[in-house]
Amino acid sequence: MALRIAWHLLRTGLAAWALVSVVFLLIHRDLGAVQLGSPDASEQRGSGVPLSAAAQAATEQAIDQRLGLDEPLFYVSPPAEARASWRWNGLRNQYHRWATQLLRGNLGQSYRTGRAVGAELADALAFTLPLTGLAVALSVGGALLLALGLAGRPWWQRPVRAGLVGLQALPLFGVGLLLLLAFANPEALDWFPGYGLGQTTDQPPGTWGYLAAYLWHLVLPTAALVLSALPELTLQLHASLVQELGSHYAVTARAKGLAEPAVIRRHALRNALLPSLAQLAELLPALVAGAVVVEVVFALPGMGRLLAGAAVARDAPVLVGGVLLVGAARMLALLATDVLNFWADPRIRWQS
Amino acid sequence: MAAAWLGLLVLVAVAAPWLPLPYPPNVPDLAHVAQAPLSPGQHWLGTDAQGLDVLSLLVYGSRTAVFITFPAAVLAAMVGGVLGGAAGFWGNRVRAAAGYWLLALGAAWWFLRLPMFGLGLLMAAAGVARLLWRPRRGAAYSTSVPLDAAVMGVATALDTIPHLVLVLAIAAGTGGVSALGLLAILAFTAWSTPARLVRAQMRRTRALPFTEAAQAAGIPAWQIWLKHAMPHAISPLRAALPLSLARLLGLESTLSFLGVGLPPEVASWGRLMASFRYDTSAWWVFVFPITILTFSMLSLHFLSSAPRRQAAR
Amino acid sequence: MRIRWARDPETLDPLFAPNLAAFDANNLLHVSLLQGDIATQQLAPALAEQLPTVQLVGDSLTRLQYRIRPAATWDNGRAVLASDVDFTLKLMLCPGLPNEAARNQYSFIRAVLPHPQDPRRFTLLCRGQSLEFAQASGDFFILPEHSLDPRGLLRRWSLADLQRQPLPLPADSGARAVAQQYLAAVASRSSNRLSGCGPYELLKWEKDRFLSFRRKPRWWGSRLQPAPLVLQARPQQLEYVIIPDVATAALALQRGDVDVFPQMPAREFARLRAAPAARSALRFYTSPSYDVATAGFNTRHPALADALTRRALSRCFDAAGLLRATQLGEGQRTVGIISPADRANYNDSLAPVPFAPDSAVALLRRAGWQRRSAPHEGWFRSTGRGADQQLRLLVRYRAEEVLFGTVALQFQAAAASIGVPVTLRPTEPGTFATAMRSGDFDVYLRVLRGNPFMFNFTQLLHSASANNVTKFGTPASDRLIAAIARADNPARRTALLRQFQALLQAEAPIVPLFYLPNRVAANRALTGLHVGSLRPGFAAATIERVAQPAP
Repeated sequence: MALRIAWHLLRTGLAAWALVSVVFLLIHRDLGAVQLGSPDASEQRGSGVPLSAAAQAATEQAIDQRLGLDEPLFYVSPPAEARASWRWNGLRNQYHRWATQLLRGNLGQSYRTGRAVGAELADALAFTLPLTGLAVALSVGGALLLALGLAGRPWWQRPVRAGLVGLQALPLFGVGLLLLLAFANPEALDWFPGYGLGQTTDQPPGTWGYLAAYLWHLVLPTAALVLSALPELTLQLHASLVQELGSHYAVTARAKGLAEPAVIRRHALRNALLPSLAQLAELLPALVAGAVVVEVVFALPGMGRLLAGAAVARDAPVLVGGVLLVGAARMLALLATDVLNFWADPRIRWQS
Repeated sequence: MAAAWLGLLVLVAVAAPWLPLPYPPNVPDLAHVAQAPLSPGQHWLGTDAQGLDVLSLLVYGSRTAVFITFPAAVLAAMVGGVLGGAAGFWGNRVRAAAGYWLLALGAAWWFLRLPMFGLGLLMAAAGVARLLWRPRRGAAYSTSVPLDAAVMGVATALDTIPHLVLVLAIAAGTGGVSALGLLAILAFTAWSTPARLVRAQMRRTRALPFTEAAQAAGIPAWQIWLKHAMPHAISPLRAALPLSLARLLGLESTLSFLGVGLPPEVASWGRLMASFRYDTSAWWVFVFPITILTFSMLSLHFLSSAPRRQAAR
Repeated sequence: MRIRWARDPETLDPLFAPNLAAFDANNLLHVSLLQGDIATQQLAPALAEQLPTVQLVGDSLTRLQYRIRPAATWDNGRAVLASDVDFTLKLMLCPGLPNEAARNQYSFIRAVLPHPQDPRRFTLLCRGQSLEFAQASGDFFILPEHSLDPRGLLRRWSLADLQRQPLPLPADSGARAVAQQYLAAVASRSSNRLSGCGPYELLKWEKDRFLSFRRKPRWWGSRLQPAPLVLQARPQQLEYVIIPDVATAALALQRGDVDVFPQMPAREFARLRAAPAARSALRFYTSPSYDVATAGFNTRHPALADALTRRALSRCFDAAGLLRATQLGEGQRTVGIISPADRANYNDSLAPVPFAPDSAVALLRRAGWQRRSAPHEGWFRSTGRGADQQLRLLVRYRAEEVLFGTVALQFQAAAASIGVPVTLRPTEPGTFATAMRSGDFDVYLRVLRGNPFMFNFTQLLHSASANNVTKFGTPASDRLIAAIARADNPARRTALLRQFQALLQAEAPIVPLFYLPNRVAANRALTGLHVGSLRPGFAAATIERVAQPAP
């Protein structure tokens, strides 16, 4: 067992490395000073001498050199034209430099801020994990409860399911904006704070007051995330539960005289969880990746905004570091799913 | 009821160019911008912040939904279902003879234009030869194809790269996105979820007694897969299809927002809803599309669960 | 005092401000020789005692004499000296720093000549002659030599040495050491490591949340009597909160969580101004800005190479309708890239380009185009060799700019009505920059930013400039641009500028549509809020909160 898990981990790690390498090459393929350049020259200022094409090329070369973008991308370069062949670049290439630095634990420095990428990611994670963790816990718990309730076919089954499907149609930014307009609006209900996490000047950190203010600010964003994640989870789980309840063993259990709730809980739930586990695995990387829409609407710091901003500004080191982090989380989640699958349905044997 | 609504939607989508709409969907009416419904100016459902007629946008948006988003969702479900089903059924245990391997390697060699391209041709030729004159007896030198690992690996990779980055890379490479291109992008980014669902279900199905019975009866593997296992395995897709449709509509509106979505003159519900961001007092640009969307999703949901209810009866 | 920002400044490098937020923040932390005075719309002496005296040498050199205010000191009490100016200019030439933009901008300064007796007095030796040198030469933040280069490593080389890139080897190692130290100081985000002589110090910076600044208790500017507007610093604490979404920020303003909302979008501004509750709590300001929404043509394309075609197409923009629809009537139409607010230089004898697709048809015919229906509908023109060219346009604009979405749709509809097919391509910013560079567009839509003191169209429209993405340029236009840059008195420059506006309208390489307004909404309890046309549209450091809000 331990050996198999170790083998799984090794495979997972290799896959993560391959993935991040692909992303690195993809991002750096056309990266250059043009996209990273300063605010564009749409301004009427500067000296009376026109910036010649040669001077501009020199400037861009200086930027490329400063950021290490002037070296070839990879060990080999693909043929540039039809007749040419592959070219060997040696060890002086961007990928090699990045990989060796990564093995030493150095993710590089952000092009935008000049800070270490590790520090940027850690800062963002410290804000993202409480928010997404809370949201995932609440939505998984809520989905379980709702699906179990729905499986008993109570009278409210149809309206609730219809409501869930309707909720699914709402885009996340719509949910967020509606919550804001309803609960943080002096013209409607002014119950919750509307943006951010409170100012440091309000409460000293580490006190109960600080924690309370922090949670108070998280109410609306968490609610938006839960509302958007709940329908899919619940409906999926519900569909599997209904299917299981129609299967032979459930009929047998009922024939044995077991009450319906007991059939649901003892027999059907375990099997029905199986397809939903795949979805839970989807949620885990989302924990780390953050929720860019909610972060923008509620003005929260976090991974979503960090990565989206990095993608728009072509801040390659941050982007690659973020993908590495999310990839690692996803690989771990997949591993966990496999283990859970094994637990939920022992008929599925390990496949190595 | 549900079928009637969806039918109406398709009808409107098909007949949109011939409907007697007072305003075209892509010409801004600069004199009447962000007008509320039923106010003077003949815009029955009002205009959005750009001065476009909301009614026309809804009608033409249904074209986008019916002809791009829905096909993309179905395509993604089909591709995901087949790949996930195959991966779940065969796992990593299908064996291919050495000849196929040599052929594939040779073809890849030639395609990538690696140095000494004659070597690639030679290898492919050797592969073909080996397949044609397969020794009747003796070792087959076959190696297993990691089908499961390959499918799941690609799916995982697709999900892990933030879609933003993926789409930006595609857009930067191609310079812009056409309607068909958008369909391809949507399907390409969405097939992994159905694949995962079907794979998980397939692994359970494969362990069920009837599969083993069919194997014992000597039915070829692919027939068991197609006729017996797949119908069981795709059951999670029924619930997932309406959800995946909603997700694609959301992705489409995000893409429009990033500027790699549909060209701005093509109406879309997603973009209309997104314009609510810029003017929160204009409730009509949000309420009308969301109502239509909700009705459509309810109808799809109802239709997808109807066969099951009939079976239960 | 809380002010809304749409984005994080990302870096507070005084030599390189990647966005407006960083520029605002640097303005609080550092002082330059001259600074824009929001009330008079002119550059006023800040660190300098007065505007420089200009002395022309021969016909290709200018000497500018400055003297730094004797009161000016760094935080540790040391005086700000000419050597600090020299050091700052050298830092702009240091390799390994993100200073490429500054390097190009101040490349006209050849040397800093210290005064033999007075360490505060110095002369800038500039290459070329221009009215604008007096202003352009004082427009950078002065940095402390004693804390960034305590060993005086950069003193060993002259400005001219450093301008010779790549550097000779010994200079290189010393310069790199200084660059390393500077980068570390910027990345540390601490006012102690990179202290300016500005009135505020950075108290706390939470990325994507807020930045708070504290007034230095003993700042040299407080000792000036009377303090000029550019050196006033009233609020004890300034907090900039980062709220990306407009709707969220407007809610925060209504709740009183935010006091000032600069650069508010038109629709939100109009909505709040019409709401009674908001009107009683907030005050609304507008002023003209120097930002002009502009369409530009890629004149390298054979179809757009002649002025007649460009003029025909420029009549498909309904500038008046767009101004009404997108700015709700505020802002001003314009004939050129001089703001109508600048009465002297604006050419009021010209009429704005009318919205007239019908007359565009006549112009297209004159340009040699013929409307045909075969092989497909459109305008065709024979090129002399090969297939006929068709008039079809690809319009690019930044996808996040909602304004240009409307402009593009309007243009497309008007062009379609006369039979010109137009493809719209909203583009993501990085790709937009690449497309502008490679010429992968027919029409661009973007905002050109200007200011009231400098009229330099060399970078934008001179044929030799790499930044001229329209690639427009005739000998006459190049001569005129050079003459404007070299003009030696305001009257002469005004005449040339008027001529230039007429020339641009006739040649139509760019079509300025309208000047955007600057909108600021602020809490009623604030006084001393100066709203003006200079960026960021208001002066943060002069605001005061009234103890008792006015009834």
